[in-house]
Amino acid sequence: MRNSKARNQIIPAVIFLLPGFVLLGVFFIGPLLYSFRISFFDWNFAHPDRSVFVGFTNYLTQLKSQIFHRAVLNTAVYTVITVAIKMTLGFAIAVILNQSLRGRTFFRVAYYLPVITSWVIVSLLFTYMFSGMGGLVNYFLKDVLHAISKNIMWLADDILALVPVVLVDIWKGVGWATVIFLAGLQGIPSELLEAAQVDGANRWQRLMKIMLPMMRGTLVFLLVVLVLGGLNAYVPFQLITRGAPQDLTHSILTLMYRATFSRMDFGNGAAISYLLTIFVFVLSLVQLKLLRKPAGE
Amino acid sequence: MKGRLSLVFLSVLIIMSLILGACAAPAATEAPAATEAPAATEAATEAPAAEPVTIKYWHTMSDPETAKLDEVIAAFEAANPGITVEPSRYAWGDFKTALLTSIAGGDVPDTARMDIAWVSEFASQGALMQLDGAMPDFDAIAASVFPGPLSTNKWDGHYYGLPQNTNTQVLVYNKASFEAAGIANPPATIEDFVADACALTDAASGTYGYAQGGTYFWAPAPLFYAMGGKIVDEGITTATGYVNSAESVAAFSMMKDLYDKGCMSPNLLGGGIATDAGQGTGIYAMIIDGPWMVDIYKANYPELDYAFAPIPAGANGTSSVVGGEDVVILDGSANKEAAAKWVAYLMSVDAQKALAQVGVVPTIASLAGEADMPAYFAVFMEQLKTAQARVPSPKWSDMDTAINNAYQRILNGDQTAQEALDQAATEIDALLAQ
Repeated sequence: MRNSKARNQIIPAVIFLLPGFVLLGVFFIGPLLYSFRISFFDWNFAHPDRSVFVGFTNYLTQLKSQIFHRAVLNTAVYTVITVAIKMTLGFAIAVILNQSLRGRTFFRVAYYLPVITSWVIVSLLFTYMFSGMGGLVNYFLKDVLHAISKNIMWLADDILALVPVVLVDIWKGVGWATVIFLAGLQGIPSELLEAAQVDGANRWQRLMKIMLPMMRGTLVFLLVVLVLGGLNAYVPFQLITRGAPQDLTHSILTLMYRATFSRMDFGNGAAISYLLTIFVFVLSLVQLKLLRKPAGE
Repeated sequence: MKGRLSLVFLSVLIIMSLILGACAAPAATEAPAATEAPAATEAATEAPAAEPVTIKYWHTMSDPETAKLDEVIAAFEAANPGITVEPSRYAWGDFKTALLTSIAGGDVPDTARMDIAWVSEFASQGALMQLDGAMPDFDAIAASVFPGPLSTNKWDGHYYGLPQNTNTQVLVYNKASFEAAGIANPPATIEDFVADACALTDAASGTYGYAQGGTYFWAPAPLFYAMGGKIVDEGITTATGYVNSAESVAAFSMMKDLYDKGCMSPNLLGGGIATDAGQGTGIYAMIIDGPWMVDIYKANYPELDYAFAPIPAGANGTSSVVGGEDVVILDGSANKEAAAKWVAYLMSVDAQKALAQVGVVPTIASLAGEADMPAYFAVFMEQLKTAQARVPSPKWSDMDTAINNAYQRILNGDQTAQEALDQAATEIDALLAQ
C-alpha cells in the first residue's frame, strides 16, 4: 500500500523533472562533454571524423604558451581589482543610500542605470574616452590638470590598455553590487541598530560589529558571483583591446574565442575553456572552504 | 493561496520548458544527420532538375552592392527557372564565426563569398567543394580571370573557389593639403613619399603626412611589397632570408623612421583617429587604401578633394597587395549542381559588369580596358598588374600575427627591424614546418 503510493508519486515527479533534465542535457551537459572530447583532438570542424587524436597536446601547448600565461594573469588581476573595488564601493554607496536622504530614489536609479545600459555602447564610449588622439582622458590629464606633457596612447600599451577595461567593468558593475548590498542592509532589523546606538556604539562600531556580521551571507554571495563573473570576463576585453597589442591583453575567454573562431583551432579553444573550468572549479572549492560559516554560528 | 500561486507558476514553467524542449529536440537530432551530408548530396544531384531548389548565398557586401546584387539575382533566376537564390548579408567582423558555426552545425549555405585569405584555411578542413574537375565551366572561367586572384583559391593542387572580385590598395591623397604644402604631384618614389610625408606634417596643428590603418599585414603590405619585401619563398617552404631580407628590413625601418619623426600618425598602434575619418577631416594628408573609399568618402565626407595615385615605387618599381573575395561552394551543400550554375553566373561578364557599377573591381581580364567601367578603376587596374597576393596558406592568419607583432615591437622600440623580423622568420618557419 505504502509502496504503491510512493510509486504513484514518483511517476509525476519524473514527468515534472524531465523537461528540466532534457534542457540541461541538450544545452549544457551534452555540449560540455562534446567539447571535452574536442579538446583532445586536432579538430576538423567540417568533418569531425577526420579529426586526429592528439592526447594532451592542446593542453600542453596552452600551458607552455606565454600568451596563455599572460591571459591568465590579466584575468586574475582584472578579477581581483574589479571585485575588490566593486564590493567596497558598492557597500559604501549602499550604506549611504540606505539612509533617509533627499532624492534617494533618484540616486538608486542613477547608480543602477549603468548596469542596464548596453555593454557594446559603453565599451565604445570608453574606447573613445581613452583614445590616444583627442581622447577625453588625455585632454583632462594634459590640458586641464597638466599632469602629463604628451598624449598617452592608452590602447597601444599592454598594461595601460587594461585601465579602460577595468574601469568600464567597475563603472558598470558597482550599481549591481549596491542593489544586492541594499537588500542585505534592509534585512538588518532596525531595533538592533537602535539598541546599539542607545548603548553608545558609534557609527564605525555599528558598521563593524553589527552591519557587516549580519550581512555575511550577502558578502559571500557577492564575492562568489563577482569572482566567477570576473574569471569569465569577455565582453570588455573583446570590445576594447581585442588582445592588442601583441596578444598581451587577452582574457582567458577572448583567447579561447580567438583560438576557436579566428584561428579555427577548435581543439586548442576547447582546451583553453577546460583549463578555465579547472581553474574555476578549484577556486570555488577554496572559496567554499574559506567562507563556510564558522562552527559557532 | 500562496500554494496555488506557486502551482500556477510551476505549471507555466513546465509549459515553457516543454515548448523549449520541443524546439530543441529536432535541432539536436538534425545536427548529426546533416554531417552525413555526402549521402544527401548524391540523392539531390540525382533528383530531376525540374524540382525547384533554393541556393543560399552568404556575403558581406555594402549597401549599394547589396542593391545591385538583387538585380543580378533577378537576372539569374529569370534565366534559370526553378532555382531561387536566397542571399544573406553579414557584417565582415562576424562572418567567419557565422561560417564556422554553420559548418560545425551541419547547416551550411550552398555558396558564399569569402575573403581570399580564408579559402585555403577552409579548404584544408574539407569544408569547401573542389571545383576543378567537378564544376562544368570551371576551366573556361579560370582561363578568363586574372591569375593573381585565381591563385588565392588553390590549396594542395586543387581549386576550391573562383575570384568573384578583386581589389588592391593605392595611395589616396588630399589634394588641398598637397596644394597648401606646395607639392605639385603625388610622390612617385619611396624617397619622395618619405619627404612628402614629413613636409605635409605639422605637429602644432596635429596633422600628419601619412597614416596607416593598423599593424596587421594588410596595412603596411603595399609599401612593403613596393620596396621589394617578401614573406616566404615561391614554394612556401621558408621565411628565413625572405621576411628578414635586407629589402623587408628596409621597408619596416622606413616606416619606423616616419613614425619616430612624427610624420606617420601614431593611430596604427591602436586608440587613435581612423584613417578614413582622419583624411576626411584634413588630419591625414595621405593614406593607402582600396576602391571602397570612393563610396565611404561620398557618403561621409562629400566635400573632401582627394585623388588616387599608384603606390610610390621602390628600386624595382611599384607594387601593392591583392585583396578581394572568392566565391566558394560549401562541401555540405545539398544542391551543388544548381550552386555551380549560380557561381558560374556570378563569374559571367554580365554579373561582373553589373557589380562593377557600384565599385566592385571585376576579375575577368578582358574587362580591364572596358570604357563603361567607372573612371577611378583605371589606377586600381594598373596597380593590380604588379600587386602581389599574400601567402596562400591555411597558416596565413598565424603568419600575419607573427609579422604584426614584429611590426609592433619595431614601432615600440623593443627590437630593431632586423631583430624583430629575424624572430618573425623563426616563428613563420615553425608554422611552415607543422
